[in-house]
Amino acid sequence: MTLAADLRQVLGTDQVLDHPLDMHIYAKDAGVTPGEVAAVALPATTQEVAAAVRISVRHGVPIVARGAGTGLSGGAVPTKPGLIVVLTRLNEIWDVDEAAQTAWVGPGVINLDLSKHTKPLGLHYAPDPSSQSVSTIGGNIGTNAGGPHCLAEGTTVSHVLAVEMVTAEGEVVTLGSAAPDPLGLDLRGVVVGSEGTMGLVTKILVRLIENPPEVRTLLLAFDSIEASARTVSAVIAAGVVPAALELMDRPMIEAVENFRTCGFPLEAAAVLIAEVAGHPAAVEAEAQVVARAGAEAGATEVRIAADELERELIWLGRKSAFGAVAYAAPDYYLHDTVVPRTRLVETMTGIYEIGARHGINMLNVFHAGDGNLHPLVAFDSKEPGMLEKVKAAAHEMVILSIEMGGALSGEHGVGLEKRDLMTKVYAPIDLDAQARLREAFDPQGILNPGKILPEGSRCYDFGLVANLESGATP
Amino acid sequence: MTASPADEWRVEPPPGVAAETLTVAPPSIEAIAEVLGWASAEGHRVLPRGGGTHMGPAGGEPPDVVVMTSALNQVVDWQPEDLTLVVEGGALVSEIESALAERRQSAVLAEHTAGSTVGGMIAAGVSGYRRLRYGPSRDRMLEVTMATGDGRVITAGGRVVKNVTGYDIPRLSCGSEGSLGVIGRMCLKLWPVPESAASLTLDDVAGFAGLYRPLALLETELVITAYIAGTPEEVAAQAEAVGATPRPGLDWPGPLEEANQIELRVPPVLVEAAVSKVRDSGAAAFRAQHRVGIVTAGFGEWAASRLDELRGWAEGNGGAAVVVAAESESVDRWGAPPGSLDLQRRVKQAFDPLRVMVPGRLPGGV
Ligand SMILES: Cc1cc2nc3c(=O)[nH]c(=O)nc-3n(C[C@H](O)[C@H](O)[C@H](O)COP(=O)(O)OP(=O)(O)OC[C@H]3O[C@@H](n4cnc5c(N)ncnc54)[C@H](O)[C@@H]3O)c2cc1C
Repeated sequence: MTLAADLRQVLGTDQVLDHPLDMHIYAKDAGVTPGEVAAVALPATTQEVAAAVRISVRHGVPIVARGAGTGLSGGAVPTKPGLIVVLTRLNEIWDVDEAAQTAWVGPGVINLDLSKHTKPLGLHYAPDPSSQSVSTIGGNIGTNAGGPHCLAEGTTVSHVLAVEMVTAEGEVVTLGSAAPDPLGLDLRGVVVGSEGTMGLVTKILVRLIENPPEVRTLLLAFDSIEASARTVSAVIAAGVVPAALELMDRPMIEAVENFRTCGFPLEAAAVLIAEVAGHPAAVEAEAQVVARAGAEAGATEVRIAADELERELIWLGRKSAFGAVAYAAPDYYLHDTVVPRTRLVETMTGIYEIGARHGINMLNVFHAGDGNLHPLVAFDSKEPGMLEKVKAAAHEMVILSIEMGGALSGEHGVGLEKRDLMTKVYAPIDLDAQARLREAFDPQGILNPGKILPEGSRCYDFGLVANLESGATP
Repeated sequence: MTASPADEWRVEPPPGVAAETLTVAPPSIEAIAEVLGWASAEGHRVLPRGGGTHMGPAGGEPPDVVVMTSALNQVVDWQPEDLTLVVEGGALVSEIESALAERRQSAVLAEHTAGSTVGGMIAAGVSGYRRLRYGPSRDRMLEVTMATGDGRVITAGGRVVKNVTGYDIPRLSCGSEGSLGVIGRMCLKLWPVPESAASLTLDDVAGFAGLYRPLALLETELVITAYIAGTPEEVAAQAEAVGATPRPGLDWPGPLEEANQIELRVPPVLVEAAVSKVRDSGAAAFRAQHRVGIVTAGFGEWAASRLDELRGWAEGNGGAAVVVAAESESVDRWGAPPGSLDLQRRVKQAFDPLRVMVPGRLPGGV
């Protein structure tokens, strides 16, 4: 029997797709590279996920977990004909525990739906990727997603207490617990951010956070990008960790204002959106620290949102950024690198230089407080040679970030897009260590092969004793 | 034991280690790796040791080789404007924290630091009381350089505060109890120390409800104390809200002195119940971390039945009871192993294929 026929026996006819059109749709995520699909399974329970995995293993077909498919690095794109296991039907929220400030959720729950669900209790789920109205908690776990408010609260991994997952053998295991410091190695922490290469997450115990009693949102305008980046360093150095610290440059401000009027100053070279949150008696003082740091760096305007309406308008502007670009250009390529915050000014200068040299249309909106850069290139892929040019510039920007002491990705993941750049960050012996860790979870290499680690990472050149043990030829 | 590359780094065994045990203090991570590679080839059991303050109860097979991290005690790089610190595993927590304090920063390691090393605390997965506000220590592990059980020197993570470049080995090393290798160097995320801090004595735990994001909410056999920090106005306003007189500074309770100690780890909502349990079981002293879920209790004498009782209750509620110290030789430190035992074994194997690093030290004999 074919893979699809086998799957249909367990999942039912409608929950398995193998029509060429369906397979075409599931061959891509929100990144730029398509893959090849063998079949698509839409299980509704943990047991169905486990059954689908076992069937696929029996057929020797690689398994790729998929949430909403908004990933930008090709994490959900199969590198060889694979079974796409879509987890969006596992979308229940249950056991919201107000006292414990936790909830069990299915991986298919949309990020924002969870915070909406817990809002009446005065609680929210802190990680807020810009894609939060469409991306799933399972996908967020896959990439260890971040967002503006992860600066003070930490990324997804700090908000996931436990996961239930289906292993590469099709078994169900729970990692982590409601109790702190579960016994043994912290495998939960390894699975978060593993991009579907260690297991398929089917249930999640998340931590919820009380809504801050007081919030102050500021908009600071600058006549140079350097002055805005200097303000970021000055705020961090002053001992304030704001709830959010986001930077937008002029091209992005223009795009946003063309798309939706949010009152951003069009003459500014950059704006910084800062939010401080916490106890009413502290928030005002912290807002003043931010305002002062901005003024000292030469801010041309410091606006403190007077009311909830003005605050919402500032965030609407920030959150409209990607929509605004999609509205203005047929295609965009969104980068994600991270540098030490002390190197922000230098790195931004270098990134503009690269953009100018390649003659590309670049806009910036990013999590400045974490040093997490998101240069975004708007282009038209129908223009001959354009995609190549965009990719060449992207490559240079990543290399620059690494030279600045940074890393390949702050939140979108390595996936397919940056896999072959891993050798720029890690020595062969480091990649081998990562490959061994992955092998511990998936000895047959059946879960999302070809992601994160470049081919040949497990190179058997290291640790002589281990080679003798495994019988591999050194 | 055959001649070892370790001989030149040989030192006197520290207190608590048998005099004939080969004890070494290699001068670099590479040298540690050389010792571990040799130990793997020869099949010698290795025990890494920092300050020797979090070694857990005695018992099990004694090690053949003790690897001290004492020669690796330098601050490699501190970027105050980036709130990151690169430090070697053998550096003393007390020295590191007092250096950081000069710039009003902290790595938020545990409060009782007598003799503890940074690497030892990270390996032991100890987080300290302020985890209620700042999260567990593993959330601050950004990069790790480790000598693996079979003598490789590997680095993972990076010196940036947000990073998904590859698998999170830094976080995995936290709480690994030396079972994967020796943590030689790490990059930690720092926090600014708030301008003002105070301790508030409360009449009962109900008072905790009026506080916004305290540093810690502790209950001992004697007092209930909330620890808060922030701007001076915030600290004053919080104290007033719960009707307590703020004592400036953070007067943490002293460490437990009893020779027998059991740590209950339970869902945070069960701390009150755990406190009644340890009181009923005759604890001489205890430290309960409300909203965190950890209650450590000290006992004058050892009683296996008491451990069984507390453990039964904690495990029945999805938690654990860990023996921190015991006067008995044959105690089961952990209790029921996690359901992921098979994966736990395989992950250890990935770093320590010949099982020389403290074999059997992790739950379930891993
Ligand atoms: C406009 C836009 C803005 C964005 N903004 C942000 C942002 O601010 N911050 C940010 O971090 N990201 C951002 N992203 C990227 C993307 O939204 C995130 O990576 C998100 O976490 C992906 O979720 P998803 O449900 O779409 O997952 P998918 O794209 O379907 O999958 C992502 C990865 O997770 C794996 N996976 C999915 N589900 C599971 C599961 N249940 N178990 C195991 N593995 C699984 C997949 O195999 C894949 O490797 C943005 C994307 C877009 C298009």
